[in-house]
Amino acid sequence: MNGISKPILQLKNVRKSFGNFNAVDDINLTIGEGEFFTIVGPSGSGKTTMIRMLAGMDKPTSGDILLRDKRINDTPANQRPTCMVFQSLALFPHRTVGQNIEFALKIRNVAPAAREKRARELMQQLHLPADYYGKNVTLCSGGERQRVALARALAFDPQILFFDEPLSAIDYKLRKTLEKELKDIHRETGKTFVYITHSLEEAMVMSDRIGVMRRGKLIQVGSPNEIYSAPRSRFVSEFMGDVNVIPVESNGAGSVRSQALGAAFKVPATSIEAKAQCLVVRPEFLRFLDAPGDAPNSLKGVLYNEYALGSRIQYQVRIGEKVFLVEKLRQQPFKGKLDDEVIIGWDPENSIMVADE
Amino acid sequence: MSDSKYSVRHILIGVWTAAVLIFVFLPSATILLASMTSSRYFTFPITKFGFDWWSKTVNSFEVKQLAITSLTIAATVTVIAVVLGFFGALAFARYDWRGRKLYQKFILLPIFFPQSVLGLALLLWFNALGFNLSWKTAVLAHLVWIAPVVTLVMAIQVYSFDPSLEEAANDLGATRWQTFREVTLPVLMPGVFSGSLFAFLLSWGNFPLSLFTAGSDNTLPKYLYAKMVAGYTPGVPVLGTISTAAAAVVLFGGYAAMLILTRNRKAGI
Amino acid sequence: MSALNSFFAQPGRRAAMPILVLLLLGFVAPLIAVVGFSFMPPRTFGLFHEPSLENYEKIFSDNTYVSLLWSLGLASATVVLLALICYPVAYGLVRVFGRWSTVLTLLFTIPLVVSENIRLYGWVLFFIKGGVLPGTLKTLFGAEMGDFLFTPAAVLFGMVYVYLPFMLFPMTLGIAMVPNQMREAATDLGASRWQVFREVELPLSTPGLMIGSLLTFVLAIGAIAEAKVLGGQRIIPITHDIEIAFTYAQNWPLGAALAVLLMLVVSVLVLAVLRRFDLDQILGKR
Repeated sequence: MNGISKPILQLKNVRKSFGNFNAVDDINLTIGEGEFFTIVGPSGSGKTTMIRMLAGMDKPTSGDILLRDKRINDTPANQRPTCMVFQSLALFPHRTVGQNIEFALKIRNVAPAAREKRARELMQQLHLPADYYGKNVTLCSGGERQRVALARALAFDPQILFFDEPLSAIDYKLRKTLEKELKDIHRETGKTFVYITHSLEEAMVMSDRIGVMRRGKLIQVGSPNEIYSAPRSRFVSEFMGDVNVIPVESNGAGSVRSQALGAAFKVPATSIEAKAQCLVVRPEFLRFLDAPGDAPNSLKGVLYNEYALGSRIQYQVRIGEKVFLVEKLRQQPFKGKLDDEVIIGWDPENSIMVADE
Repeated sequence: MSDSKYSVRHILIGVWTAAVLIFVFLPSATILLASMTSSRYFTFPITKFGFDWWSKTVNSFEVKQLAITSLTIAATVTVIAVVLGFFGALAFARYDWRGRKLYQKFILLPIFFPQSVLGLALLLWFNALGFNLSWKTAVLAHLVWIAPVVTLVMAIQVYSFDPSLEEAANDLGATRWQTFREVTLPVLMPGVFSGSLFAFLLSWGNFPLSLFTAGSDNTLPKYLYAKMVAGYTPGVPVLGTISTAAAAVVLFGGYAAMLILTRNRKAGI
Repeated sequence: MSALNSFFAQPGRRAAMPILVLLLLGFVAPLIAVVGFSFMPPRTFGLFHEPSLENYEKIFSDNTYVSLLWSLGLASATVVLLALICYPVAYGLVRVFGRWSTVLTLLFTIPLVVSENIRLYGWVLFFIKGGVLPGTLKTLFGAEMGDFLFTPAAVLFGMVYVYLPFMLFPMTLGIAMVPNQMREAATDLGASRWQVFREVELPLSTPGLMIGSLLTFVLAIGAIAEAKVLGGQRIIPITHDIEIAFTYAQNWPLGAALAVLLMLVVSVLVLAVLRRFDLDQILGKR
């Protein structure tokens, strides 16, 4: 884990209520100078409310937001040295690319020549063709519009950049490219980026640290690796993608038991906490066995279906009512046929115990 | 379903539409014809074509006065209705506030109200207040009907306005006034434009409200009506044609101006 | 003062205020005054007399209500005729004419901006003895035409003519609201053309049809120029009665009572219909 550098943004017991409903509920968080921090959560988790408070478009109901140790709760957005890239991008449709990028400089009465120089610099940095300077923004493609929005936000050299899911409306392939580009820009500029998204996958690619939000609360904060390999709850583990989750109860030292499957499993002894009630095994850690004894934990089932996922193949195995997913590399496919009886198994160190929440 | 049956249906719809269009324009064409005769009474087929009545009408002092009154009313109504309608439309479609749904329906009521009854009610109201009826009271009466129409026309534009544009401007450092001047107003300009077009034309052609609320001041439609009832004079078709042509010119001119405006904007001028 | 400030804290309220003030003073207040006058004794000019129902009694004992019936009947007939006339055109504008639709729509808009009495006068010159139609018939066939002008039919004709755009445009919007895929889905599921129309297009375009009908009905019931120009005073619609009472007869309370009856009909209809619609949805919000 990266040790947090000098803190730039601090949240202390921040809460935002609408009537009786707490959209953001008692958040404590410190974001470091130059960090790429991503807040992930499903829609309705409060992440949009959160970033709007950070950017100054909403005020917290209680708690404090500190920017370099200065309380900024009541500083309106237009007086904060921060800037946001909006979900809709909010490019001004009646202005050219150049005029959009220069907007903040014009507001700050920067001379036209200096404005244009800065805009052209940014366009070059963000790989926008120079002749786009006089082009109407509405005529730009999706990827170009992203770059214009980013250039516009960077123009006045803000201390923090906020991103409100700017890539959500972009098709998959371009999104993958832009994610990497954004991370490169982060390196080049060295600025603090705070990003929100509903896609943990997107967060993984770009972030130094990730905070997962659910129902207004920050339920886990950590590096991408920690979030992936050591989720603390069923919610976080399922958020990353396909996982096998088995509700279990304690069965003595290093062992748990599933009522539904009528079986006991070995687990890493250290991972059993009082709250831990679910066993999580990722599909890539499950394997097909020749005999039940070939792995410490095993189950018998029926091969129901298979899905090709590019580099991997996923198999659906049914055990009674329960569905398990097993993944294998494309180069080493499983030879079994549909409706065959199969045995699947895994090693205890590849499973995680998490809270059932 | 066979292809031929499909196209027969389309042809029938086309023929029907053409017939309805002819129906719509027949009276205007008749008026135009009638304006071009030089005899005192209109008979068809026309025996003597001529434009004597045109020169007589155009040069008449009375007609100039009428045109000036109608223009003054229409221009005043346009300016006020556009300002009221602009903010009215923001309240209608842009902001979320308690009472908005009720407000939306309330705004529609004057549009869904018989104009002659509105005119008569206003006549009574102005009399009760002791106002002298003149073109100024007519402006008020027109506004009661036209401001809601303009609000609705602009609201359609406001609905497609992305509120985060204002937030973005603010976030980039603009004050409330700068945001309004640099973003809100220019982005909504097409709506303002079509709103003013509507306001002007509706006021220019309005008859029932002017009839009851303009007092002794005469507007074109009101004057024409008085002449129609009093007996035939060829000045009526001439004036009718002029009024129609003026409206059509404003409408098409406005439409063309809008097209050019959007094209220029696209070209980045 | 602070209560006022907090009331205006919502920008929507601030923005709504100017037009609300206009409508309160120029719409609500006059209508309240009309209601007030309708309970005053006949031929009085103040609002501070003993209230009475005399005017309403007079309307029903003097057969004045007949003019209300005329207006209702003519307005209903106008709505039905216009629905039939406009549906094929509206359908064509949305589904058939393609890029010509814009031009056609503009053509249908032009009459809207010409004063209705000028256009109605065009019909007078068209139908009058020696006018366009009788003149043509006479020259071509030597046939004489019976009188059409100054009959109830002529008034209805004029109303259908004047209010055509008010039915056409809402109807067009209504039909445009039916997604093309919805029709294709119905056809794909085995529906015939007629079934597609009955089961999918008609019900889904109802909002447009209803708003068009309401608008036409309300405008037609307040029609005044048609009867004056084309009806030659043969038919007295209620608006004419109200006008006479307010002007020549100088009997404000009677006119007010008639206006109240008309307003009752209109507001019941308008409120009943508008209540069912979410305007954000129709005009397209998010």
